[in-house]
Amino acid sequence: MVTYLIRRILIGIPVLLGVTLINFLIINLAPGSPADLYLSPTATPEDVARTETALGLDKPVFVQYLNWLTQLLHGNLGVSFQNREPVTQLIADRIGPTLLLMGTSLVIAYLVAIPIGIFAARRRNTAADYGVVGASFLGISVPHFFLGLAMIYVFALTLGWFPTGGMVTLGRGGGFADRVSHLVLPVVVLATGVAAGMVRYVRSSMIDAFGQDYIRTAKAKGLGASVITNKHALRNALIPVVTVIGIDLSALIGGAIVTEQIFQWPGIGLLTIQSIGARDYAVLMGINLIAAIAVFAANLLTDIAYAVVDPRVAYA
Amino acid sequence: MSARTTHRLSAGLAAIGLLLIPTACTGNAGSGGGGGDTLYVGTVNPPASFNPINQSDVGGQFAVRFAMDTLLDQPEPLKFVPKLADSIESKDNKTFTVKLHAGAKWSDGQPITAKDVVYTINLIANRDSLTTLGGNVTALTGVDATGKLPKGQAAVPGLTAPDDTTVVFTTKTPVDPNYVKEMIGTKVVIMPEHVLAKSTPAQIDDSKFAQLPDVTSGPYKFTKYTQNASIEYAANPDYYGGAPKIGKLIMKIMPASNLAGELQTGSIMMNSGGGIGNIPFQDLKTVKAFKDVNTKVNPTIGFQTIQFNVKTFADPRLRAGLAHAINRKQIVDELLLGNGEVIDGPYTSQSPFLDKNLKTLSYDPVLAKKLLTEAGWDFSRKINFVVPTGNKIRERSADILLQNFKAIGLNVVQTNYDFPTTLAKARAKDHDMVLMGLTFNIDPDVSNMYSSTGSFNLTGYNSPESDKLLLAGKSAAKPEARHQIYNQLQALWQADMPVLTLYSDHAVAATNKSVAVGGATAFWPGTVANVGQWAFEGAN
Repeated sequence: MVTYLIRRILIGIPVLLGVTLINFLIINLAPGSPADLYLSPTATPEDVARTETALGLDKPVFVQYLNWLTQLLHGNLGVSFQNREPVTQLIADRIGPTLLLMGTSLVIAYLVAIPIGIFAARRRNTAADYGVVGASFLGISVPHFFLGLAMIYVFALTLGWFPTGGMVTLGRGGGFADRVSHLVLPVVVLATGVAAGMVRYVRSSMIDAFGQDYIRTAKAKGLGASVITNKHALRNALIPVVTVIGIDLSALIGGAIVTEQIFQWPGIGLLTIQSIGARDYAVLMGINLIAAIAVFAANLLTDIAYAVVDPRVAYA
Repeated sequence: MSARTTHRLSAGLAAIGLLLIPTACTGNAGSGGGGGDTLYVGTVNPPASFNPINQSDVGGQFAVRFAMDTLLDQPEPLKFVPKLADSIESKDNKTFTVKLHAGAKWSDGQPITAKDVVYTINLIANRDSLTTLGGNVTALTGVDATGKLPKGQAAVPGLTAPDDTTVVFTTKTPVDPNYVKEMIGTKVVIMPEHVLAKSTPAQIDDSKFAQLPDVTSGPYKFTKYTQNASIEYAANPDYYGGAPKIGKLIMKIMPASNLAGELQTGSIMMNSGGGIGNIPFQDLKTVKAFKDVNTKVNPTIGFQTIQFNVKTFADPRLRAGLAHAINRKQIVDELLLGNGEVIDGPYTSQSPFLDKNLKTLSYDPVLAKKLLTEAGWDFSRKINFVVPTGNKIRERSADILLQNFKAIGLNVVQTNYDFPTTLAKARAKDHDMVLMGLTFNIDPDVSNMYSSTGSFNLTGYNSPESDKLLLAGKSAAKPEARHQIYNQLQALWQADMPVLTLYSDHAVAATNKSVAVGGATAFWPGTVANVGQWAFEGAN
């Protein structure tokens, strides 16, 4: 297992480097200079040149990439073009809110989706099953921005139960209740999407499992329905579900761009979209790297989780 | 997972649900509504920077001006009021004397003196400093056309501080005192020499001070900036203009579409001026219906243009033909819902320099086609029309323009790019027509855009007559003489038509009725002119 992990991590390093290189090239392929964004439209070419030098944009692209890599080896992701804050600091400030939002959403989504998926599979082709499948379709189809705006309209503007956005009430310190009330609407929006998809995975995976010979054997042995479901079927059905959870996990770090923007949640997703708008290459590279590492780590965790849920899987 | 676990999970979920509902109800939903000691301002564009001398956008200028003062303020076009300076005077329009307000202090207790003013201007003119204010000091003796001193020189010749409250500087030629008052008096934010002198000019843009000034001169002090989310301020009790009446000020940064909702719940008490907190016009009716919000629609000095490449459209009749083909009233009526104006040239109704006798070009597709045909335009020729993204109304105006051009049989191909790409293409003249929004100063000098050597001349317009008049206008010291010159220029530009102004959009200023003093004004520098006096209803 340990050798397996070491091997995977060693393979991961060139992959991550490749990802950063491709990102760097794509970002730099965009025409126009970020310096233009940081100067008034009437700036002279000398002003533009002075700003490009200050941002290090006057050097050839590969030199810029090498400089970035050198900085990276020193644990430094550079400074934001926009306000010269260190990128590591910016990401560190944003990662907490994103983890809180995504973590809460995922946990709630799984807690809702897994029991419902099992329930629907056990009552396959009944009215209850059709209801669950229909609702999950609706959940998948409703775009986040629409659900988010509708929730803001109903629960924030009309009923006044929750705030329209943000993470805490600014200037009021923000106690626990304040934080929770800010968390509710975005979590509901995100959890709806994740749960809707997860219900369908769990349901179909369970239906597959119910059709297996070992279930027939278990039934023939005279085992009770709940033992068959939870001991025999669920454990096998969870294997494909673990893959889906792994994919979801990588979003923990990447954040939810649309939802964070609608609710002005100060997380990585909002930072990403704002940095794209501002052509803040340094911040974008930092976020890309962190997101790539998150995907890599999530994949690794998924593989390890396989071994836990499926004893047939062994690593060497 | 056993059946019991599943049940336990469901029970847990129900418990979480029950827990959330009461917390939600007691949660601070309408946070910040009405009165109190904190004023919440809604804004859309986050500041690109807090460096007072390196501000590329109004977002940054607006945010800095709550905490940092200039020498003068301009609450209305060409009306100047004292700030750090009591006066800026000149007898010959060439040697200017600034008299500073005695007793003004930095937030760390140090006095604000003439040396700070001299330091700031020298810093802007220094070749190594990063600044967007170079264009504001080009009139001074000894600096080049970009406002910079020769390499190795650190002091602007003739710029002196005879005593602690007097600054003297000279200009190369006599200039309109209003030009100096606006460009230097109201735009140059004075920097604290005792904080910054230890850094070289090149280091200042990267300094901690430039990230969020910690020693300030204005009515409020910065307390916290959460990037692209909020800017928090606290009153400066020792402000030379008197301690502010509102203790805390928080600028909340949000998408424009959220402004109306936040005004409704009282989470913000006003939107910001200067085009950085614009409430979308489709929300105007809703906002006007709010009982506790005052709403006003004001004209602005910003405007949107279509810039013609004069190489493609060499004959002025071609440009005039294109201009006549455009239905600008339709853009104002349908996209701005009537909240805008149609003008020709760079001066809106807010500018004292707009020639109101100049009739705007008519929408006349028949005349348009006639002019283009007379000038020998090949209607099958592809016209490359570049549209920058970012401003939704401008993007949609391109749809109307495209229909207008198609209606007279032109072959126009539209391409949308993000703003930096559009600007790069426009600068390289890699376009036949490009849309561009602009905001100049109240001072009428627009050489940047119309002069043959202007840094923002995106059309390739090169008219010796226009160049001559622009130079004359810039160096004329008497306001009446300037009016006459700029009237001539407006007529000339209308005839030559390198640039057609499509519209100038108005801005919605919404202020909660709990605010007695304060709020966005028609002319945005006026919004920040009296921040120190802002107060809630019922305050002393």
